Amino acid sequence: MATVIDTLSWAALLGGSFFYVVGAIGLNRMPDIFTRMHAVSVSETLGVGLLILGMALQAGVTLITVKLIIIMVVMMWTGAVATHALARAALHDGEKPLLVDETGNLVRTDPVSLFPELGVRLAAPLSSEVVDEAPYAVPMGADGPITELPDDSGGDANRDARPPDPGKAD
Amino acid sequence: MMFAVAIIAVLIALTLAVVRALAGPTAFDRLLAANNIGTSAIMLLALFGFMTDRPEFLDIGITYVLLNMIGTLAVLKFFRYGALGHAQDLNRDSDPR
Repeated sequence: MATVIDTLSWAALLGGSFFYVVGAIGLNRMPDIFTRMHAVSVSETLGVGLLILGMALQAGVTLITVKLIIIMVVMMWTGAVATHALARAALHDGEKPLLVDETGNLVRTDPVSLFPELGVRLAAPLSSEVVDEAPYAVPMGADGPITELPDDSGGDANRDARPPDPGKAD
Repeated sequence: MMFAVAIIAVLIALTLAVVRALAGPTAFDRLLAANNIGTSAIMLLALFGFMTDRPEFLDIGITYVLLNMIGTLAVLKFFRYGALGHAQDLNRDSDPR
């Protein structure tokens, strides 16, 4: 029985190492940020999952296995959140993914130009000219995007969250 | 022995991620590589603890995972609002004129 578990643990650790290195190689070989994200997600799900499975098989049913599972669950959760935020931020910043157009050619273009229905679902700054002026998402005021912030340097710690001054906001 | 093999693999991956973090043309590439470096550090901690028969290292690993989560949320906020604290820094930095 111990031999079987040792063999399974070996296999999981070797498989996890393989996928971890494959993800890191993809991080260096892929052509743009979106495909690199795809490569890294291999190492952060399959690689980490198999490595932790291998360690858990070695530890048996103990508190150590519980800690390993905690690490894996939190890592899976934050990995998805971070990847989503990163892809969204890159799109807002004007990064253009490689896409296949109607004629089947690879083009590096804004996804909204190929799939207009995306423009409805994504936030407004991506498909408007605001993106040319601000590198990040622009907060939206009552009458359009806020490009000028209220210019007071009082000791207000909560300046970010204050609604725009209609007189000074653009 | 088997943990040593896994540690070597994670170290190779860590080196490749450092290469991308140094070379990455955009800030997003560097951020992706930094995230991967953090994950590699956690896996190194766990594997090293197992290799030396001291699984208490996992507690440090849990701490690192939680710190990674905080860092992720901070980065998310930064890209959503353009700043972590002072809105006027955002105004100055992102002003193209």
